Amino acid sequence: MTTESPSINLTSHDDVVRVEDLKVSFYTQLGVVRALNGVSFNIPRGRVLGIVGESGCGKSITGLSIMQLVVAAGRTEGGRILFREDAGQEPPVNILDYGKNSPEMRKIRGNNISMIFQEPMSSLNPCYTVGNQIEEAILLHQTNDKTEAHKRAVEVLTKVGMPNPSRIAGSYPHELSGGMRQRAMIAMALSCNPTLLIADEPTTALDVTTEAQILDLMRGLQSEIGTSIMFITHNMGVVAQMCDEVAVMYMGRVVERATVDDIFYEPRHPYTISLLQSIPRLGRTKGRLASIEGSVPDPYSTTPGCSFHPRCPVAIKGLCDTIVPEETIVDAAKGHTVRCHLNS
Amino acid sequence: MTTDDMLLEVRGLKKHFPIRTGLMRRVTGMVKAVDGINFHIRKGETLGLVGESGCGKSTAGRAILRLHEPTAGEVIFNDPVLGKIDVTQADRETMMKLRPNMQIIFQDPFTSLNPRLTVGQIVGEPLEIQHRAKGTELSDRVAELLQEVGIRPENMTRYPHAFSGGQRQRIGIARALALNPSLIICDEPVSALDVSIQAQVLNLLDELQAKYGMAYLFVGHDLSVIEHISDRVAVMYVGYIVEMAKTDKLYFSPKHPYTEALLNAIPKADPRLRTRPERLQGDVPSPANPPSGCYFHPRCRYAKDICSVERPPLTDIGDEHFVACHFARELSLTGVQPLSDIKLQMPPARSV
Ligand SMILES: Nc1ncnc2c1ncn2[C@@H]1O[C@H](COP(=O)(O)OP(=O)(O)OP(=O)(O)O)[C@@H](O)[C@H]1O
Ligand SMILES: Nc1ncnc2c1ncn2[C@@H]1O[C@H](COP(=O)(O)OP(=O)(O)OP(=O)(O)O)[C@@H](O)[C@H]1O
Ligand code: SF4
Ligand code: SF4
Ligand SMILES: [Mg+2]
Ligand SMILES: [Mg+2]
Repeated sequence: MTTESPSINLTSHDDVVRVEDLKVSFYTQLGVVRALNGVSFNIPRGRVLGIVGESGCGKSITGLSIMQLVVAAGRTEGGRILFREDAGQEPPVNILDYGKNSPEMRKIRGNNISMIFQEPMSSLNPCYTVGNQIEEAILLHQTNDKTEAHKRAVEVLTKVGMPNPSRIAGSYPHELSGGMRQRAMIAMALSCNPTLLIADEPTTALDVTTEAQILDLMRGLQSEIGTSIMFITHNMGVVAQMCDEVAVMYMGRVVERATVDDIFYEPRHPYTISLLQSIPRLGRTKGRLASIEGSVPDPYSTTPGCSFHPRCPVAIKGLCDTIVPEETIVDAAKGHTVRCHLNS
Repeated sequence: MTTDDMLLEVRGLKKHFPIRTGLMRRVTGMVKAVDGINFHIRKGETLGLVGESGCGKSTAGRAILRLHEPTAGEVIFNDPVLGKIDVTQADRETMMKLRPNMQIIFQDPFTSLNPRLTVGQIVGEPLEIQHRAKGTELSDRVAELLQEVGIRPENMTRYPHAFSGGQRQRIGIARALALNPSLIICDEPVSALDVSIQAQVLNLLDELQAKYGMAYLFVGHDLSVIEHISDRVAVMYVGYIVEMAKTDKLYFSPKHPYTEALLNAIPKADPRLRTRPERLQGDVPSPANPPSGCYFHPRCRYAKDICSVERPPLTDIGDEHFVACHFARELSLTGVQPLSDIKLQMPPARSV
């Protein structure tokens, strides 16, 4: 057996997914992008794990890797993605052992893991009605009966709070508002009662009132069906309201992982701390905002040592710029880990 | 206080877009994107403008600058040289003189800069058009402007694609600053940026205002950002301003049911303060086919009979708190609870 990384042995929960040391690179004409540089984290069953971090840090690629939907230019160069459909299942399957288009992988995508993509328009087909698209997903994996599939499609549309589900089922994506399209996407993702839902910025394009509806909806489904959720977002408000645990990513690595309470009240990584200090806090926000100096790093370059060191206010010269910090345990009981020399 | 500290007064401003259908492209309806809004901005002040997507915020900003020709209404701008002028009636020559004083920064840092011009040309263009500077004087001024927004002047000869989103937004700000405007319309200037970069740009806007005293009309949809940056805030719903007040008033004691719903829906950045906001029923109505009476009535939980019949005008209920609701004085609504102040400390620096 291979040894498992520390974050993984810590949690007492049964994990739906454990990602271990995942490495994905893109080979492009402009150079190599090391999108994931050894990503490790676990998603406890029935919980919501938030994934946060700056644009380009690898959130979407992590989600797409679990689905094996990374485009061909992106090569998986190491790591494992262990998936347990049922609690206690031994041994777990390593998703990366399956071919991208293998029957096993298609079964996982149709029955076990669903994803809500960052751009709803790109994942709904403009030429088919919303109802047709959901029915098709149901026909592919669950039943051969067309009337039954239609009935279930209308059911899931009702579940996601569509005001007039049968009318919506007959509508084309462009006839719906942004919020309705997003709900249609969610309906499609939920039509198979997934074990794991990967939601990639599901509310970013929406207004706060619609966002609140969608979050409410996802919480409901989580408590009703027990779906585990990997919730990708950059909105710390949404994280605070939705997630049980949080993994903070920076340049292709998880730099801190903790319960949502610890992330907000006991953050240890300088990047997490800076991130929290830079958001205006409702009701008490006058004066200067703390900001992270420097700019978001260039994806084609690799930074030696801790990838945050060029922007870190407390970087240690001669250490942080040369040696990559290991993942260390802050609090074993709560599964709090951090990658920073100041914490080791 | 004299009325002279008034910089901009917008009265009854409307912008309707025709809907054309069929082969003959006949006008079959109107999108009432901005439908009779009133507000004012004082010199050196920041007015935040919030509302859901499609409610007409950008259209309002553009109509003020006549980037969209207004359908009706007045836009009285207090020009430092020309005095008070109705922008909607100004002829070409007057517009040429007014333009330098009213600038705009756009949302998308990736499409709002001309990719074929160098950064120096982009920032210098307004100076050239207005014949304010040329030759070395021009490049000195551009260098100074770039420095002001935190871009190294050596970058003058590079093209926009070589810059990150936050840097491009700074370049857009430098361009808007070039002519020392007294008003800058900021149309979602930080919405496309990462939080860490957003803080840099917000701080920059603050510093520039403290230094040069220009006023901002700051359009946005992140209510925490709007609260941070604004002296006063106006809330828009389907082409109409429904509430406008000093920032604290609007956030802590809103008087319009829509404002209340918006504030309660903000996801609070504190896991110990979990809220389940009351769901707003239904979707935002289309500005091509708005409801009767108060546009908010189909979704409003306080609606009474009169609400579907009569549209409430925007009324001052005291201390510059404007509300467009028949029951503004009677309703007792809930605002935001200030978030607790979580004190976070960087770990102390160390050496090897
Ligand atoms: N098809 C691709 N070709 C080349 N590089 C890619 C490709 N897709 C992603 N990348 C790179 O991989 C890195 C991670 O991308 P990813 O989409 O996971 O970021 P993200 O964290 O989801 O960002 P965002 O918040 O902007 O959605 C980025 O540097 C990105 O430029
Ligand atoms: N050139 C145009 N022709 C026709 N309709 C338009 C035009 N520009 C805007 N609209 C419509 O006017 C309404 C208001 O649009 P506007 O862009 O002002 O909204 P907004 O509040 O800025 O939204 P967002 O937050 O999404 O930027 C929308 O219904 C939009 O579809
Ligand atoms: S390892 Fe060093 S550079 Fe990286 S976050 Fe910690 S202190 Fe900063
Ligand atoms: S006028 Fe009536 S419908 Fe409109 S906001 Fe006030 S109470 Fe609600
Ligand atoms: Mg992404
Ligand atoms: Mg807009």
